[in-house]
Amino acid sequence: MSIVAFIVIAFMITVYVLLDGYDLGVGAITPLVARSDRQREGSMRSIGPFWNGNEVWLIAGGGALFALFPKAYASSFSGFYLPFIIVLWLLMFRGVAMELRSHFPSELWHQFWDACFAVSSVLLIVLFGVALGNLLHGVPLGRQGYFIGTFDELLNPYSVLVGVFALVALALHGTTFLVMRTQGPAAQRAQRLLPRLWAVALVLYIAVSAATVAERGIGFSWIGLVPLLTLASLGALLFLSLHKDGRGAFMASSAFLASLLLQAAVTLYPYLLPSLPLGSGGISIFDAAPSPLALASALTVTIVGLVAVVIYSALVMRQLAGKVVVED
Amino acid sequence: MDVVIADRLQFAFTVMFHYLFPITTIGLVPFVALYTIQGVRGDADAAKAAAFWTKIFAVNFAIGVVTGIPMEFQFGTNWAAFSAVSGSVIGQPLAMEGVYAFFLESIFLGVLLYGKTYVAPWLYATSAVAVWFGSWLSGFFIVATDAWMQHPVGYTITPSGVIELTSLPAVLLSPFAWWQFLHVLCGALVAGGFVVAGIGAYYLLSKRETLLARRFVDAGVIVAFVFSILVVFPTGDRNGDDVTKYQPIKLAAMEGLYATTKDAPLAIIGMPDSHTKSLIDPIYVPDILSFLAYGNFNANVKGLNAYAAALEPPVVLTYYAYHMMVGLGTIFVAIAALATVFLWRKRLFETPAILWLLMLGMPFPYIASEAGWVVSEVGRQPWIIYGIMRTAAGVSPTVASGETIFTLLGFAGMYFLLGVLFLYLVLREIALGPSAVVEHGAA
Repeated sequence: MSIVAFIVIAFMITVYVLLDGYDLGVGAITPLVARSDRQREGSMRSIGPFWNGNEVWLIAGGGALFALFPKAYASSFSGFYLPFIIVLWLLMFRGVAMELRSHFPSELWHQFWDACFAVSSVLLIVLFGVALGNLLHGVPLGRQGYFIGTFDELLNPYSVLVGVFALVALALHGTTFLVMRTQGPAAQRAQRLLPRLWAVALVLYIAVSAATVAERGIGFSWIGLVPLLTLASLGALLFLSLHKDGRGAFMASSAFLASLLLQAAVTLYPYLLPSLPLGSGGISIFDAAPSPLALASALTVTIVGLVAVVIYSALVMRQLAGKVVVED
Repeated sequence: MDVVIADRLQFAFTVMFHYLFPITTIGLVPFVALYTIQGVRGDADAAKAAAFWTKIFAVNFAIGVVTGIPMEFQFGTNWAAFSAVSGSVIGQPLAMEGVYAFFLESIFLGVLLYGKTYVAPWLYATSAVAVWFGSWLSGFFIVATDAWMQHPVGYTITPSGVIELTSLPAVLLSPFAWWQFLHVLCGALVAGGFVVAGIGAYYLLSKRETLLARRFVDAGVIVAFVFSILVVFPTGDRNGDDVTKYQPIKLAAMEGLYATTKDAPLAIIGMPDSHTKSLIDPIYVPDILSFLAYGNFNANVKGLNAYAAALEPPVVLTYYAYHMMVGLGTIFVAIAALATVFLWRKRLFETPAILWLLMLGMPFPYIASEAGWVVSEVGRQPWIIYGIMRTAAGVSPTVASGETIFTLLGFAGMYFLLGVLFLYLVLREIALGPSAVVEHGAA
């Protein structure tokens, strides 16, 4: 049952990355493609109805982690106190920027919030990436499973590399979203930018894969199939984008990210927080889970609820589909 | 500073600031939904009202969301020992809040704000109802989490000291949780009623938007009247019974009762003195405390002196918060009843004195609600889980008080900025008025 719980958490994190990933990516890419007040407004409007619902996946995922693996929740959140609080502050800034920008018709007001939006989006992606990097890299854990390292140890070269890769991958994801969802000069610029971002993402993917193998060695043999999936979706992304299939490219980008996260999850398993040096244990899904009864109860309510969420959010997204048109 | 105090200060500050916004969203959402439905059915004025209140709702919702995220994560960052021990119980209502309520509210609010031109009218109206349901359900799960910390049920403690859930229905259907939720809900609806009536009164007094303003005052006064009574009886009364039964020392602190007393009087005012262990300059109503607590004018009520000092909650704060809540609650009944009488006689819209009262009354339901939470949570001390775990044992072992003070200062600065922006934007929307509201455009 701990394994099912691990799959549920991995699923929620993956959905979070696919969904909030595109609106974070839009935030990161907007300064490069939107050159006027109207264009920047259009790019914010493209994610307007969705970003809040997307972010709920993070909040619900946090809640699910709390219920399913209380010990991992407690030691990771308190162990990485400052980075977590900084993430919270950035999430707040970003939410406020999107909510308040439109309320006042002044260009200075817009410029300020546009800058906040872009900066907080970029920093959040990098921080999330560095966090994932540290999970894969392993962190120094004390006897009771609390983090005992220092801040600068978290910024090790491997984790920073994963952070940079996350930025490029989500910027690419956001770009495919902008191309799919908007029309106008910004969308055209995004379309032209796409192949270049794609090439950088490919190079970084290879670099991160090599670094991961160097860190952790080759895992289970069948993981070898997942990188094929990654490369196939990356190829499909470029192909569909060059053939002006916006929706297809976005889907391929989603598959690309999902395959990366699948690989990360398989690499981590059965640990939620592996200890350094690798192989010395850590907090595994079996240590962190509560009693079978409590776990079964939490799993049931979470899974039933998520099925409902997936159904009605798909319905709503279909209803709100359609392009945001921005003339200059 | 002691690390426990630093963690408590940060939680208290962030939760009290956060709670201002859910009060408004929970209290306003029925108005938003009902005006939206009337608007969809062809009432053009109601559609304008719906657009106006949706805008006010959305600003409150946004600030509520961004200040709510730190609440959920603070359990892990600052209260790791508590979370590790109790996560299998309290993690569940928190996870359900996200999965069942918050998704509903956020996704359908997206439709409400952006979808008017895209979606079918029935779906638009349904979205308003979904937002309504989601926001109340969200409130329920949060209160159920707190209620479990006040009165734990449906759990067992393992030999290693971990609290394990044994029954989720016991946690979610606990009468303690339901009465507490209904009390909180009524409190928010009093605030919603006062806000709608108060803004209507402002428009009437400034002689603008007269037609809509009358509808606002009308609807707001009736809601404020009904719920200012329900918040006292039966919900407040039942909360009092639960405190008497399960947390008698909190009752003694609320009432400033030091010596155990038969025929205990109720202190209407008076200032507690922790040195002499008595009230300074009290005004008492004889026998009433015995009656309120036990339904019997002669009942014996245990005072604070009867308990070990280590079990005593901070008396002064609990006492004042309780008296502020109850005093304001009484004033709300009076103002709302007076306004209702004038409304009945069809003279309210021409009576500036009462319109002024309604307008100036707006902030006070917020103060009363916050005070109520102070009674509940400060009065719970020294326990984080009543009778099971001390607050001091719940903090994160790896987080120093210096770290928490740093982040507390950060939150203080950020919330100050948020507060200023919020007030500016909401006051601006009110100044523009419902007639100026156009379709909600960009994000």
